[in-house]
Amino acid sequence: MSKRSAFSVVGIFESPQLLMNAIPGIKAKVTARLEAYTPYPIEGIDRLLGLRKSPIGGMVLVMGIIGAIAGLSFELWTSGVDYPLRTAGKPYFSWEAFIPVMFEVTVLFATFTAGLGMLLLLNRLPLFRHPMLRSKALPLVTRDKFALAVEAGAGELDPEAVAKMLQESGAESVEVIEMPAPAGPLSPVFFFNAFAAIAVSCVLAGLLTYWATKLFPILPPMVHMLDQPRLDPQRADSFFTDGFGMRMPVPETVTHDSVPYTIRSQDYAGSLVNPMPRSESVLHRGRQAYTNYCAVCHGVLGNGSPSLTAAYGAKPANLVSQKFIDLPDGKIYHVIMAGKNAMPSYAADIVESDRWAAIHYVRVLQRAMNAKDEDIPK
Amino acid sequence: MNWDTGTKLKLAAAVGCAGVISTFLISGSERFWANWILWFLFLLTIGLGSLFIVALEHVVGARWSIPLRRIPERLSTFALLMGPAALVALLSLRFLYPWTKPESLNDPVIAGKASWLNVPFFSLRVILCAGLWILAYRILVSGSLEQDRKRDPKFNLRARRFAPLFMAVFAITITVVAFDWISSLEPKWYSDIFGVYLFAGTFLAGLAATTLALLYLKSRGRFREIGPDHMYNLGGFLFAFTVFWSYIGFAQYMLMWYANMPEEVFWYKERLQGAWGPLLLVLAVFHFLVPFFVLMPREAKGDPRFLFWTASVMLFSHWLDLYWMIFPVLRRGPLLGWPELSFGFLFVSGGLIWIRHVMNRGADMPVGDPLLREGLEFRL
Repeated sequence: MSKRSAFSVVGIFESPQLLMNAIPGIKAKVTARLEAYTPYPIEGIDRLLGLRKSPIGGMVLVMGIIGAIAGLSFELWTSGVDYPLRTAGKPYFSWEAFIPVMFEVTVLFATFTAGLGMLLLLNRLPLFRHPMLRSKALPLVTRDKFALAVEAGAGELDPEAVAKMLQESGAESVEVIEMPAPAGPLSPVFFFNAFAAIAVSCVLAGLLTYWATKLFPILPPMVHMLDQPRLDPQRADSFFTDGFGMRMPVPETVTHDSVPYTIRSQDYAGSLVNPMPRSESVLHRGRQAYTNYCAVCHGVLGNGSPSLTAAYGAKPANLVSQKFIDLPDGKIYHVIMAGKNAMPSYAADIVESDRWAAIHYVRVLQRAMNAKDEDIPK
Repeated sequence: MNWDTGTKLKLAAAVGCAGVISTFLISGSERFWANWILWFLFLLTIGLGSLFIVALEHVVGARWSIPLRRIPERLSTFALLMGPAALVALLSLRFLYPWTKPESLNDPVIAGKASWLNVPFFSLRVILCAGLWILAYRILVSGSLEQDRKRDPKFNLRARRFAPLFMAVFAITITVVAFDWISSLEPKWYSDIFGVYLFAGTFLAGLAATTLALLYLKSRGRFREIGPDHMYNLGGFLFAFTVFWSYIGFAQYMLMWYANMPEEVFWYKERLQGAWGPLLLVLAVFHFLVPFFVLMPREAKGDPRFLFWTASVMLFSHWLDLYWMIFPVLRRGPLLGWPELSFGFLFVSGGLIWIRHVMNRGADMPVGDPLLREGLEFRL
C-alpha cells in the first residue's frame, strides 16, 4: 500500500510561551517552512517565525490615497464640471462639501483593501482543501492549544525525525498530516478559473452593452435618424432669424374650449343664461363635475361642511342656503370664473359645459336639502 | 551659580513675571487679559484632561495603564493650580467679555442670554466647577496616593463607583468652561458642539502631557518597567483622538459653512480673514496632518522618539487652537510680541516648576493598587 508522503508535522503546545520557546530551536534545525496556529494573535510570533513584514499596511495606504483621489475627482467632476448646480449660492468647487464623501470613499477603499486583501490576496483564503482542516489538531487550536506545523512544501519531510524534534522542544502531542489526495475535477483552481471567467464575461458584456446602446447608435448611418432637417422643441435653430426653433402663438390665440370672460364683478353677472339644458345626462355630468371639483370644500351635500374644514381655516359657502337658492345661475358662474374670497378661479380647471352642468346640479342639491313633503313621490 | 534645570526654570519664570507685569502696565488690559485667559485655559485643560484620563481608566477598569496612572494623577493638579488663576481671570470679564457691559443688553440675542451671562452667576459657576473638580481630585487622586500607604483595595471600588458620576460631571463642567470662557467672548455666537470640541482638545492635551512626562521621566531612569507595549497604547490613543478632534473641528466648521447663517458664520469669518486664515491652516497641519501621518505606522506608535516629538507638536497645537479661538476677539490680527512671550515664559516655566515639584509626590507607580502587577505584565 503506497503511503502518501506527509504534508506537515504538527506539534501541539500547552501555552503560547512554550510555543514561542520552541520556534527558534526548530527553525535552526529544519529548512522546511514553519506555520503557527493559535486561537488568538500572539504579538511577536511573526518575527520569530521569520515571516516577512506584511505588505498590507502599504497596500491600505496606497488604496486609501487612491480612494481619496477617486472620491474627490468624482465630486469635482460631477459638481464642478459636468453638472454644476448652484446650491445656496455656494461655489461649484466647494472643498468643504466634498470632504465627507471623500472621507467615506477613502475609508471604503482602505477597509475593502484591508479586509479582502488580507483574506483573499495575502492569506489566499478560502483554502477549502487545506489538509489542516481535517486534522485532529485544528479543533484543539481553535479552543485552547497552540500548534507549530513543519510543512513539507516542495521538499520531503522525515516525519519521525521532525516529530521527535517537536516533542523534545516541549510539544505535548504530535500529529502527522498526510498529503491530500490530488484534486479532482472540481478543484479550487477550477472554481477560481470559473469565477474569473464569469467576472470577465460580465465586464465584457457590460462594455458590449454600453457600446451597443450608447456608441453604436450615433455612428453613421444610424445617426441619420437623429440628424433630421426639422425644428425640435426647446432647441435653438438657425432657420428663423431670432434663433428660436419654436414660435410664439399668433396674437389673440385662446385655448381650445375657452370662452373669453370679461365681467369684472358679480353684480353684473346675473344676466348670464345657463346654456345647458336640464337633461338627465347633463345632471349626471354636473354631479361628476361637482364631486370632482366642488365637493372638497363645499361638501358632497353642498352645505359647506366637507372633510377639509377642520384643518383649513376658511369657511366655504353653504350652497344650499336660501341665499344661494335665490342667487341666479350667472352669479354662481361668475364665482366659478373669477373666484371669491378664499376660493380661487376654477376657470382653468373646469370646461365651459361642465361649469353650467355643475350649476344645474347645485340646484338639485338645493332642492334635495330643502325638500318639502310634496317632493316625496307617492 | 548652579545652572541646573530648576534654576533655569526659575529664572525664566522671573523674566516672565516681569514681562507680565510690564504688559499689564503698558500693553493695555485687553491684551493682558487675553493672554491670561489663553494660558489659564491651556494649563486648566491639561489638568482636566489628565483627570479625565484617570477617571476613564477607573470607569473601564483598564489594567495596562495602572503603572502609568500616577503621571496623569499628578498632572491633574494643574486643574487645582488654575483655581486661583480662574479667580484672577474673573477680573478680566469687564475688559474682554462684551456681555458685561450694560449697553450690550440692547441687543436682543445677548439680552436673551442674560440669565446665564451675568457676572454673579458666572462667578458662581466658576466656583462650583472648581469645587466639583476639587472633590473629584480628592476622591480619585488623593485616594490613590493614600492607597500607597494603606494598601487598601477599597479605593479601587470607591473610584470605580465614583468615576462614572465624574464623567457626567466632567461633561457638564467642560461644556460650561467652553461656553463661559471661550464662546461667550463673542456672546452672539452659538455652537452646539463647542463643548465636545474643547473636550477633544482637552483629552488630547492630557494625553500629550502624560506622554511627554512619561518619556521625560523614563529618560531620567524612572518608570523602567514600562515597555514598548504601554507606549504603543499611548501612541494609539494619541492617534485616535487626533482624528476625533479633527472630525469635531471640521464638523463644526462644515455645518456652519453649509447653513451660512449670518449669526453663526461671523465667528468663522473673523477667524479666517487677514493672517488668521493661514494660521488656521498651520493649526490644521500641526494638529491633524502631522500627528496623523507620523503616528500612522505601527512601529511609530511605540517609538519614544516619534512619540516625544508628536506629543510636543500636539501640545503646541492645542495652545495654538486656544490662541486661534481667543485672540481674534482683540480685532488686531495675530499678535506675537513681548507680552505673549513673557506670558509664555511665566506659565510654561511656572507650570514646569510646579510639575517637577509634583512629580515627586507619592511613589512613581500606584504601589497600593492590587492590579499593578497585571498592568506591568501587559503585553499587546
